[in-house]
Amino acid sequence: MSLLSMKNVSYRYPINNWKSLKQVTLNIEAGVFYAVIGAGGAGKTTLCSVFRGFIPHFYHGELEGEVQLFGKNLLQYELADIAARIGYLFQNPFTQISGAKETVFEEIAYGLENLGVEPAEIRKKVEDVIALLKLEKIAESNPTELSGGQKQRVAFASVIVMDPEVIIIDEPTSQLDPQGTEEIFRIIDLMKQRGKTIILVEHKMEWIAEFADRIIVMEDGQVVMQGDTQSILSNPKVMEHGGTLPQYAEVGLKLLGEEGIHQVPITRKQGELVFSKLQKGGAE
Amino acid sequence: MKRGLKKDFTLLAITMIPIGVAINVVAYQLMTILKMPIYLDVIGTCIVAMVAGPWVGLVTGGLGNVVNGMLNPVSIPFAITSMAIGLTAGYLSKYRMLVKPWRIIVSGLLIAVVSSATSSPIQVILFGGVTGQSGDIVMATLLATGKQIWTAVFSQTLLLGVVDKVLAILASSLIVYKMTPQFLSKMHYGDIYMRSKKMNRKGDQVK
Amino acid sequence: MKKSILDLYPTTKLLGVLFVFISILIVPGYAYQYAILPICMVIALLAGVLQSFCSLFFKGVTLIVLFIFIIQGFFYPGETVLWSGWIFSLKLEGLNYSLLLTSKIVAITASIILFFQITKTKDLIIALEKMGTPKKVTYVIMSTLQIIPQMRKQLNVIMDAQRSRGVETEGSLMIRAKAIVPVLGTLIISSFENTQERVITLESRAFTTQRKKTNVTVLPKGPLDTIVRIVLLLLLVLIIWKGVIG
Repeated sequence: MSLLSMKNVSYRYPINNWKSLKQVTLNIEAGVFYAVIGAGGAGKTTLCSVFRGFIPHFYHGELEGEVQLFGKNLLQYELADIAARIGYLFQNPFTQISGAKETVFEEIAYGLENLGVEPAEIRKKVEDVIALLKLEKIAESNPTELSGGQKQRVAFASVIVMDPEVIIIDEPTSQLDPQGTEEIFRIIDLMKQRGKTIILVEHKMEWIAEFADRIIVMEDGQVVMQGDTQSILSNPKVMEHGGTLPQYAEVGLKLLGEEGIHQVPITRKQGELVFSKLQKGGAE
Repeated sequence: MKRGLKKDFTLLAITMIPIGVAINVVAYQLMTILKMPIYLDVIGTCIVAMVAGPWVGLVTGGLGNVVNGMLNPVSIPFAITSMAIGLTAGYLSKYRMLVKPWRIIVSGLLIAVVSSATSSPIQVILFGGVTGQSGDIVMATLLATGKQIWTAVFSQTLLLGVVDKVLAILASSLIVYKMTPQFLSKMHYGDIYMRSKKMNRKGDQVK
Repeated sequence: MKKSILDLYPTTKLLGVLFVFISILIVPGYAYQYAILPICMVIALLAGVLQSFCSLFFKGVTLIVLFIFIIQGFFYPGETVLWSGWIFSLKLEGLNYSLLLTSKIVAITASIILFFQITKTKDLIIALEKMGTPKKVTYVIMSTLQIIPQMRKQLNVIMDAQRSRGVETEGSLMIRAKAIVPVLGTLIISSFENTQERVITLESRAFTTQRKKTNVTVLPKGPLDTIVRIVLLLLLVLIIWKGVIG
């Protein structure tokens, strides 16, 4: 039973005269971590916007096909009802600070305040999330004075505290340095361990190889490949569709067939195993 | 696109108001740093009024004075002036008075008149015609030559205000024209300023 | 003492300001009105904000009061000349008018400045929301107050960046004017364009739900609040009564 689904969905933004999504059929199952990859303009962000209901409720435009969220048609939802069930995070840390609150603590509490949760319960939930994401040091700081990486973590906290079933994340690390990137992926992994359904758009393939369960490859508004992480990220066809593979896989593909190398490595651990095997082979 | 007093206050319009107020502050700050003889402190109000409508423009103007009034309450009554400017700019924009250079200049003059006409009574009735700034010297001179206080105050504010408002509205129009179609298409009153209504795949704009 | 003043519920303090507004219009003359200033200063002292209160008050009001006396003193229509020099004559009517006007300005300005020095905006917002003010209104107020200092800093950063690129900020009028476009232009456009994403963020924080908003911070309402409110009400009744009787 799929949690979210699209059937033959096409979409055109109001000011474009071409379609950003063409006949997309996709099922999102509960508890699975999906990574969406593909070249720029492939429709990944549009896909996220549809699943979150921003299309058509906020962006308008022409939406064809059927979209179901939690068994109900998207068009029957009020945008506000989706907020508590599907979290949404995106690239820019600066615009993800609401601007309505003076401390990180209050910023994280903001979503729950809007949902009408009782103050004592809000307090507990916010404290839990701050401990979980290790934000104690900045809990009393003004969100507008934080660094990009810190702001992004606060944004994550603000969404996670509402305990949504699904979290859609669109290129969260594009504006962050390597340390910031690692911190964000650790948070995403935490969510995966908690059984959340995750849809992540990313370009950093090494990280995706580490954590994602399934890969969706998009090109020119269509889903051209999908499957489990190991098989997709070791498949050279991904590159024909405008995507990239993890570095270990690109190297591994070239070594396929060599002594004892029957599977393309996609993660660091697998890569190290392969190299040590080769080393042993070369030593003999 | 639906318009009207209530419908204009969409979520997007709401987020524009703080930006408008802040731009007013920052523009004035820049003019002070550059020691320019103009204020340009209505630029934010005008831009918001042009794309989000007269009522949102009105709120932007008024809020600026209220926020300023927390530290300097003297500016609070002049919220009426800022609100009138926002309202005027919004309606001028709606009736296409800001799409061609000559019309923009005329609009600027009109806004200057509205500004003086609304601030003068406040200045005279509440503050005895005084602003506490250098303009008072001009006004005192006018009074000494025998003019009535209403005339003196109105002339003083109009003189100083005309260049400022015309330049501000010109700058606002220039900036609104530079905004992206994506943005303008979402604003209730922005469609007049969209350079094109459709874009094709390569990102080129199609008329 | 300091804590009890600062801890008063925001609406209580607001009632104080309202009391001043109404009473200064009813009480005749200018002595009572001027007296509001020392009272405010005492409260400011007790609340520990005297320094900021004074610097804000005197910076904002001194010139205006002075100029009113000068301009109205010399130019207000009247017959009774107090002092004459050159072509100007200071008249009693003008002096009287100035006293009446400036005393009211002093009273209102003092009470408003004091209010905002002893009330945190955050707390005021919470009180307003409890009274039923819509989310959209309180969001706009808080967001405006946060964004102004943020943008001022941004301006300085942009100016430094532009200066290092050779944009001149000193010299003739034309040179300085040329600095305006690169500095202000991109700041304004990017700030407005960013609102599209900020709306998405607000949506993600369930801003558009119809439910009644709660607040994680709970403001206490103590016995002092009740006392202050009763005192203000009694004083107001007394003043109106005296005003009616004459």
